[in-house]
Amino acid sequence: MDDFLQLILEPMKEVFSKFKEFTPNILAAMTILLVGILVARIMKAVLLRFLRAIKFDSWSDRMGLTVVMRKGDLWAKPSIAVGSIVFWLLLIVSLLTGLSALKIHAIDNLVALFFLYLPRAFSAVLILVFGYIIAGFIGRAVLIRAVNSGYHYAKLLAEAVRLLLTVLILAMALEQLRVAPGIVVAAFSIIFGGIVLALAVSFGVGGIDAARRMIEKKEEERGEDKKDIEHI
Amino acid sequence: MGDFYQTGVITTLHSLGKPSLERLETELRQFSSVRPVALVLPALYSEFEGPAMPKIVEELAKVKYLKEIVLVLDKASEKEFRKAKEFMSPITCDVKIVHNDGKRIGEIYDTLTRNGLDVGQRGKGRSAWLAYGYVIGRGQSDVIALHDCDIVTYSREMLARLCYPIVNPNLDYVFCKGFYSRVTDRLHGRVTRLMMTPLVRSVQQLIGPHRFLLFLDSFRYPLAGEFCMITDMARVNRIPWDWGLEVGSLAEVYRNYSPRRVCQVDIAMTYEHKHQALSAEDPDKGLMKMTIDICKSIFRTLASEGTTFSDGFFKSLAVTYLRNAEDTITKYEADAAINGLVFDRHEEAKAVEAFTRGIGMAAQAFMENPMGTPLIPNWSRVTSAIPGILDMLKKAVDEDNK
Repeated sequence: MDDFLQLILEPMKEVFSKFKEFTPNILAAMTILLVGILVARIMKAVLLRFLRAIKFDSWSDRMGLTVVMRKGDLWAKPSIAVGSIVFWLLLIVSLLTGLSALKIHAIDNLVALFFLYLPRAFSAVLILVFGYIIAGFIGRAVLIRAVNSGYHYAKLLAEAVRLLLTVLILAMALEQLRVAPGIVVAAFSIIFGGIVLALAVSFGVGGIDAARRMIEKKEEERGEDKKDIEHI
Repeated sequence: MGDFYQTGVITTLHSLGKPSLERLETELRQFSSVRPVALVLPALYSEFEGPAMPKIVEELAKVKYLKEIVLVLDKASEKEFRKAKEFMSPITCDVKIVHNDGKRIGEIYDTLTRNGLDVGQRGKGRSAWLAYGYVIGRGQSDVIALHDCDIVTYSREMLARLCYPIVNPNLDYVFCKGFYSRVTDRLHGRVTRLMMTPLVRSVQQLIGPHRFLLFLDSFRYPLAGEFCMITDMARVNRIPWDWGLEVGSLAEVYRNYSPRRVCQVDIAMTYEHKHQALSAEDPDKGLMKMTIDICKSIFRTLASEGTTFSDGFFKSLAVTYLRNAEDTITKYEADAAINGLVFDRHEEAKAVEAFTRGIGMAAQAFMENPMGTPLIPNWSRVTSAIPGILDMLKKAVDEDNK
């Protein structure tokens, strides 16, 4: 009978001792998570105040960032969207920190990977945001210049420039994120190279007559120069 | 109208003989392939429950030359918006409903406000302005026609006659205003008959001939809510958001275009719509509010043209107006008598007294704040301040209509 009781109690003791060992970890994880939520909320509130103070929403409206959000059917104010992103990012960070407090090997690896990837994701977002602004600026400059030069397809040209720059920015961001970098670089090189080649071919074919005229003119000039020398 | 008299500095297009609606619509269909037409309808949800809207939808369902209809729905919940969409479904052309109280459009208004663009309070002016923005953003229509949604006597001939002078590329008009007589068993249109016309003529008496006053006086029904214009005009014109909408819009047309390119067209034998109460004792409601807003708009436009106003001028104006308005009552009494119409002289005189008080209040408000009359910025300025606003508006409306 004692053996039988021992058989039942032994695993229970083991579970209890493991639980006793693990409880501080869980408490630590929960504390980290709770503090993380609190910090994330405070950070969000502070950030929102700061963004409102620097009139971030108006800046986003003028720079075209709000349009990008609206095109994605996101109708929150840009400052609130940034605040929410920061809040959730901090929440994920505190969740992962909390998980690492559990001291489970598999989770530790995941957390380390996440923190290693974070700077890349941050730079990719920066590339996208500033790239979009610069592409918009260059696109508008091309449009104004083309319209003032009386170019008939000014809007088309500006849109094409903008599209090309957007492709370039996307490729840069994907490369930064290490999303199939080989394929991205190859695809980008093919597209960009193809366009440049097409432009070169079309310019070359279209300019055959002009080039011939230029060469003939040069030849004539040279011939005249020779005659002048003979005459002297 | 039985005459062919040309009034003032603009062109008047009469209803002469027996114009064929079929011919008009056939020509409009041909012309609209070159100049596509958008119809803008500012509406309250309550109008969908009234007698006018079913008839308007029934008539519009037969119209084949419209490229798009943009209905701006005000004071409607999400459920009512869906109902309105269902209500408009018999119409075959592209119909888009702008849900003014929706989340997305609310965000558009917020975007404008935070960038220092005051679009005023809700009303027909703001609704029309927003619809123009959507039409410009879509870039599919060269002509915009607009009429109210409370016209009980609506027929598609009204719309055809309103659009024709602008859609026909051979006529070269940029703005066309509708006119009609508002008669049932009695004469209606008190503000136009007893306030607007005598006021404009009184001001002319005091300051002498003035091109803007001559322009205003050329319109047979300057306060008519039905007009048609080229889309470019919607881009450059500013419009008031209050009751000064019609006069303010005419002032902008006068400012930006030659009167030679402006016309008015007889669109209906009779016209019946919602009547406003006089509200003689309350300057914030009814015809009194309308009078004050219209007068402020006229005074502001004249001041911007260089006319100087003083207390003495306004005192003289009150007396001159009263005399002219009383003379007008006598004229309409005779007009009513010969046509066998009911004519309550006492009511007409009471209206004139109320209008005189309204003119005084408008004068006082103008003297206190000459810049106070609200004008919604034109779309050129708005797109300059927020380059992507038209894309945002287009997206908001398209998503709401999915």
